[in-house]
Amino acid sequence: MTATLDYIHFILAPQMLNGLALGVSVILVALGLTIIFGLLDVINMSHGEFYAIGAFGALALSWLGVNYWLLIALVPLLMIPVAVLVERHLIRRVYDSADRHTSTLLLTFGLALILEDLLKILFGPNTHRPENPLPGATDLFGIFIPTYRLFLIGIGIAVVLAVAFVTYRTRLGAMVRAASFDANMAGSLGVRVGVVYSGAFAFGVALAGLAGVLLAPIYSVFPTMGHDFILMAFTVVIVGGMGSIWGAVIAGVALTQVQAISSLVISPVWADPIVFAVMVLVLMVRPQGLFGRLGHA
Amino acid sequence: MSDPAMHIAGIGISFGGLRAVDNVDFQAERNAITTVIGPNGAGKTTLFNLISGALRPDRGRVELAGVDVTGFAPAALQRAGLARSFQITNLFFDLTVWENLRIASQVLEPVSRALLPVAASRRALARVDALIERFGLEDVETDLAGALSHGEQRRLEIAMALASEPSVLLLDEPTQGMSHSDTEDTAALIRGLTSDVSILLIEHDIGLVMSLSDHVVVMNQGRKLAEGTPETIRANPEVQAAYFGSA
Amino acid sequence: MRDRLMLSMRASHAFMTIFAVGAVLCALWGSATGDSFYLRLGTEALILAGLAMSVELLLGYGGLLSLGQALYFGAGAYVSALVLRETPSFWLAMGAAFGFTLALGIIGGLIANRVRGVYFALITFGMAQVAAKTVYNTRELGGSDGLIGVPQIAVPLGPYSVSAADPVAFFLFVLGFMTLLYLLLAYLLGTPFGRVLTAMKANEKRVPFLGYSIWRARMVAYVVAALVAGVSGALYPMLRGFVSPELMFFETSGDALIMAVIGGLGTLVGAFYGAALITALKSVIGSWTEHHLIVIGALFVAAILFMPKGLIGRIRPRAEAILGGKRAIRAEAQEEHP
Repeated sequence: MTATLDYIHFILAPQMLNGLALGVSVILVALGLTIIFGLLDVINMSHGEFYAIGAFGALALSWLGVNYWLLIALVPLLMIPVAVLVERHLIRRVYDSADRHTSTLLLTFGLALILEDLLKILFGPNTHRPENPLPGATDLFGIFIPTYRLFLIGIGIAVVLAVAFVTYRTRLGAMVRAASFDANMAGSLGVRVGVVYSGAFAFGVALAGLAGVLLAPIYSVFPTMGHDFILMAFTVVIVGGMGSIWGAVIAGVALTQVQAISSLVISPVWADPIVFAVMVLVLMVRPQGLFGRLGHA
Repeated sequence: MSDPAMHIAGIGISFGGLRAVDNVDFQAERNAITTVIGPNGAGKTTLFNLISGALRPDRGRVELAGVDVTGFAPAALQRAGLARSFQITNLFFDLTVWENLRIASQVLEPVSRALLPVAASRRALARVDALIERFGLEDVETDLAGALSHGEQRRLEIAMALASEPSVLLLDEPTQGMSHSDTEDTAALIRGLTSDVSILLIEHDIGLVMSLSDHVVVMNQGRKLAEGTPETIRANPEVQAAYFGSA
Repeated sequence: MRDRLMLSMRASHAFMTIFAVGAVLCALWGSATGDSFYLRLGTEALILAGLAMSVELLLGYGGLLSLGQALYFGAGAYVSALVLRETPSFWLAMGAAFGFTLALGIIGGLIANRVRGVYFALITFGMAQVAAKTVYNTRELGGSDGLIGVPQIAVPLGPYSVSAADPVAFFLFVLGFMTLLYLLLAYLLGTPFGRVLTAMKANEKRVPFLGYSIWRARMVAYVVAALVAGVSGALYPMLRGFVSPELMFFETSGDALIMAVIGGLGTLVGAFYGAALITALKSVIGSWTEHHLIVIGALFVAAILFMPKGLIGRIRPRAEAILGGKRAIRAEAQEEHP
């Protein structure tokens, strides 16, 4: 009996909390992906690179002496103009092609290659480890958890709630959802659809950047850091239902918990194939995901 | 007595609580034009979708020459001899007129020829040539379907439905958006088709319906209101009240 | 010319002839100078052209975006390597790779064809990831190192025998093999099946109302594409003597997509030009910097924005005009300015 409690206390619970910290970061990346898909109908293959840019942006600015806490706000803000330019001058040019899904997917895939190499040119291929702004651990009901991870979970929950509030409870959110539901109709009602698209893309990219900043202190920062992470985020988006915010949240928590707990039992190298198998399975059985789509539900 | 070309027997479907089509019953005679009319929202298009396999009926049957084809998928229905045209022009815009007709007529070839070169399917090729001539598309046969005039596209739409040599042809507002003279030409063309095929027509243009049809079925609020020859329909006070809006 | 597909295919044949002649000239040059590095690189480009052709068939003709063609390429390569390590027989390795990718393609097709559009792209991506990571984690398949020590074989061709160790002969053999694959696919596209496939790309919703099953056409296209990728992959260990999990990774699928898009989707022969161009670029740029991705990425983005029909798609109308007369130009002009 004590053995079981000890197991829960010292192994399972910390593992689950660590999984939650990872889950929050995945959700932030997935939120951006799902918003961009839900509103623009674009599968953003370069999303992982924007996440990496966020992390490198934080790294570079911290070298210049900018305070870490300031970076959390600054980096996502700096990424907005970049994202607007990308949406205006690249993605928008292929909106009207015969098969929008294919052309935008291919375009953002090409962009991902460019951005990844750009990071390699600017920062070299090596791995960087930024300083942890909140070193040490906190005693939470007898469980020791790194303080920064607790902070991460807290800020992640706050961001998710803020995003959901803006999307579902404000006039701005209503306008954006209208534009995604029927662009022509929204346009005739005075919604500036072009601005909404740019804004939604920039918002999604900024969220990816935020995730990059937040994760930089606990994960290594390297040019291809977006690769593995983005696959997980894609899975979360698909399982949660493309375009669904709450779907992404629930799927993000559930999948990272499955990953965290299963890695106690089986070798962690199998976590990836299992996660992808879940993705394939969900696509087969319920391609629209377990929850509805933004603006359509 | 031989079976009618098509028998619609007590067909119906509900969406939510709404009976979009309710217990509709009629026959389409061979080599004749049967027309379904009705005000907007009468259930014409839903009926059409039920017959053409786009929707599955909750109740009732669709019979083609005595064979029950209810609930067949569109591809299977097509092979059973029921072809349809679309109200909104629905062509392969990036292919030439000839290619459009070619793909529509190759369904005549047996499956065993699916892996032989297209040039080997002589029957399909002859069919394409005959249709191009019949529908007056000789001058545009090398043009992309997307580059045709509206009238030409509508003609091609009908020609494609006819390419598989169906026994029944469903035409959904074939003169939609046409000019007056195009409409008259198309009407004459449709009239000429009845030597090969039985036609079920959905049409808005009352003048056209009355001059073209052998038999008219009037729908209102999902039900069949009346049926008969154009003359009897015109004289029917109920139809006048519901459709022509005069009491 | 009222049959534009046939006309465009004739134009593609002309470009294929030019490509093959050019490749033979390269082989002669290589043989004269005693080069083996560039001939081996050229052989690899030809093998990748096979993979790019499978993308051509699916995306260029059927409008189906697969992000996981590397799955079948890698599967063919692994099966071929496993067979060759036991029994160094070309035909046995080819037969095994064919059979295995056929089975895999049917299973994959049954899974992937349950969904459409963007979900099809994502499910093919997911399947390839599952397979790649599984191979990566399987020690029996060499794990992250892959399988090395595949013997160099001789390919028996009737009375002749081509040694994979001879760079010129093997290059010419692979050129012949890929040309044959190209001709087979071109033939297939000229059949009623090919017509249904192109019709599906043009207007998928209309196809069932002409009496064809979309599912069946997609399934056939998917399985054939898997086979093309699989037999191409089977040649890889014969050339390089090893296989590694990278062959199955998304990078490989992505490369094939880039090759097909830059070469020209819907031209079939574009796969060869795209593969040659990208392989050459990687080699040239790679000789003075390791940043070839940025150049290829920029080229790819530029192609999508400014040359969506790719290299061959861009110049093909002229060839069509020569082969098919003025009517062809008219149809082409209509496409540019609808």
